[in-house]
Parts: sequence; structure tokens; C-alpha cells
Amino acid sequence: MNVRDGLMDHVPRLRRYARALINNRELADDLVQDTLERALRNAGQFRPETDLRAWLFTLMHNVFVNQVRKAGARAVHVSVDDEGLPEVEWAVSGNQSQSLEVRDLDYALQRLPDDQREVVLLVGLEEMSYADVALALGVPIGTVMSRLSRGRERLRALMAGTQPGAKLKVVR
Amino acid sequence: MNEQGTPGTPVSEEELHAYVDGSLAAHRRDEIDRLLESNAELAARVSDYFALNSMFHERYDRILSEPVPARLRPPARRRWLDAANWPQFAGMAAALILGIGIGVGTNMGMGRQAPFAGTGGDVSARRVSADAAEVFARQSAIAHVMYAPEVTRPVEVGADREQELVKWVSNRLGTNVRPPILTRTGFELMGGRLLPGDDGPVAQFMYHNEKGERITLCISHRKVSSDTTAFKLYEDGPVNVFYWIDGDFGYAVSGGIDRKVLLELAHDVYAQLTAEGTVPADSATPKNTD
Repeated sequence: MNVRDGLMDHVPRLRRYARALINNRELADDLVQDTLERALRNAGQFRPETDLRAWLFTLMHNVFVNQVRKAGARAVHVSVDDEGLPEVEWAVSGNQSQSLEVRDLDYALQRLPDDQREVVLLVGLEEMSYADVALALGVPIGTVMSRLSRGRERLRALMAGTQPGAKLKVVR
Repeated sequence: MNEQGTPGTPVSEEELHAYVDGSLAAHRRDEIDRLLESNAELAARVSDYFALNSMFHERYDRILSEPVPARLRPPARRRWLDAANWPQFAGMAAALILGIGIGVGTNMGMGRQAPFAGTGGDVSARRVSADAAEVFARQSAIAHVMYAPEVTRPVEVGADREQELVKWVSNRLGTNVRPPILTRTGFELMGGRLLPGDDGPVAQFMYHNEKGERITLCISHRKVSSDTTAFKLYEDGPVNVFYWIDGDFGYAVSGGIDRKVLLELAHDVYAQLTAEGTVPADSATPKNTD
């Protein structure tokens, strides 16, 4: 498959993942843009028999890691915005008996370590197989599993903890 | 999952997640189903994991239907060169061209021929280079549209590091290339970058004026030398491109600005780069008139 022709199909999903990962519309789209640019620059490295989407997530991971490293070096605070998103738009409707609440999701996700957040989202949101996640992140599958396990548990605790009055669940 | 337990063995942490993510073998799934019926704590945990996954979708799936912002659209289309698609591009480019063959031979006082003006004689031989030049113009236009609106990183190497920029593009193009000085027309160098091209790397220099208008100059080092051509105009939507070929080099000046100003800029570029070889006016030694 031709990289240029295929890119557009993947932009919405790249944006969805980036937004969940970064939770700031502009910065998330910056990440997508950098990823697309890198994909076009390195289009020759893409092997047509492989999965374009997996390759794009690999590139995005690399860009993200670089950005995090740079931001860390400069100690830049990345703001979390909910601009233009009235709470009602995404609040869980009352008839759902979920013990966790969507409203706290952004907050909780941002408090996960980056590597755990990536895995939790690639698996949970992007529904990638563990093997694909391992490939995209360039880590062994065992590492994916341990990050997933720790990430989910932590997220669960964070979500429980951010509900006023909710008791903290004991995490084993 | 990779470690699919045999029936009866304790459920591992990995299997629990694989269960949630739907990648567990059927027989283990059934076993975990049964286990969850009798283990409330485990059931709560698994239920929360499921809830997390569905919350991700509830929260973020709406982004899938958001309109994609403009800055994420152009690169997805063939932004720059794609050798595989060239034949079809050449056809499209030819069809898109509205103005062609702005002969400036007399204006330039160079007494040049306008090679694409006629239709007789060796048309087919010339058609090839005409298309290649048009494709170059089109790609320059696309690269212009791609990078000129860029706010955070319009250029890869800024004008504050001009020496580095010159060295970089010269090395990659295999010849001495310097950005011309266009201050006479009110444009200042912002910097530049390299782009992939059919004939190897293409240098793109970007300039802006006080009004914030930006123009780009693309220079390619062609594999095949050919006759000097007249300035030609390529028009693609709001972007005009004046392009010409001079021996080993292809030039394209792109901008969404007044065509007359753009032509003047092209003249400036020509005067500094083409007419005096690749040495621009600033570094050329003062002319001695005998």
C-alpha cells in the first residue's frame, strides 16, 4: 500500500489516540502532524506488506518519546485543557451503573506514567493486540503486559480516588 | 495470549487482561467466567477493566468524527514527490495548468528561446522535459502550501544559522547553493529545508515580508542538463509558481501573492543565481568593468 494514499485514512484514529495520550487539542494535533511528516519523510522505509497503521503508531510513539524527553529536559508544564467541552457532553448518563466515571478519565490518564498510559490506550482504545503493541513500542511483550497490568490498576485506583467521597479501593 | 494456561491451572495476571481484551482462548475464557462467579473481588476488578475500555471509547471516539483540521490534511495527500505516481501527476499537472509559457525573453534581455511555445518539430522529445518541469513546479506549489502556513516550524534551519543551512543544502545537492537576497522586493530569508525530489534532494528556502506574506524558492539539481527555458507560470488554486530550468538546475518561486510581485522576485532570483551561475550577488566579487 502506498503510504501517501493510505495516510488520510488513519488520521482520525491517530488524532483520537494522541488526544487521549496528551489531552490537549493543539499539542495532540502537533503530535499527529509531526508523525505524518515523519511518515512522509520516511515513506521509503515502510514495507508495503506490513501494516501501515502499526507503522504509524510506531512513528508516533517515537515522536512522542522525543517530545517527552525534550519537555522533561526543559521542565515544560503541559497544560490539560477541556476547552470547548462542556461537561454534559461527555458525562456518563445516569442509567449506567458504572463504578468509575468518565469525567475523571482525562485527569486520571494524565497521572499515569507515559509508558503505562501508552500501553493502556493502545490496548484499550486502539484495540491493538499485545504483540502489535510490543512491536509499536519496541519492547518485549512481557513488558507490555506488566505496563498494562500496572497501568490499569493504577488507573482504576485513580478513578476511584477522584470521586469525592468515594472510598479508595485497596489495590492488590 | 501467549501463555494460554492449561485447564485447571490458576489464572495468571496476563490471562486476566487477555480475558478483558478478548484475546484469550475459549476454554480459558469459560474457566475465568466460572471463577468470576465465585470470586467477587476478582469480578469487581475485571469489571472495572472492562469499564475502563468502554470509557475510553465513550470519551474519545467522538474525535473520530471531528473534522480533521486543515494542517493535518495536506500532508496526507501526496505532499511532495511520489515517483510511483508521477505519470498520473504529470497528466494532472498538465491539465491544471492555466497559464503557460509566460515568455520573458525580451524582458530579460537574454534573447532566450521559449522552448515550449511551439507545437511543431520535436514536440515529443520536449514533452518529457516539459512535464518534468511542470511536475517540479507542481511539487513546489504543494510544498509551499505545506510549509508556508506552518507556525511553529516553517523551516528546518533558520536564517540565524545561514552558514549551516548553506553548507547543509550544498552538501546534499552536491553543488554550491546559497539563498539569494530578496530584500529589494521586501522579502527576507527565514530559513530553509530539504525535500525529497526526483533528482535527489530539493532545497526549499522560505522568505517573508513585513506583511507576513511568505514565498518559497525551490532549487533542484537535475540529473539531466537541458537548455535554459523561459519563465513559466504554474497556477494551482491560490498559489502561483514561476519556474524555469537552467542547465543542471530547476528553479521554482512559489507564493500566494500578487503575480507581478512574484515575477519580480523570480527575476531577482534569476539575476542572482541563474545569471551568475550558482554564486549569489552577496558573495560575488564586485564587478570590474574592465
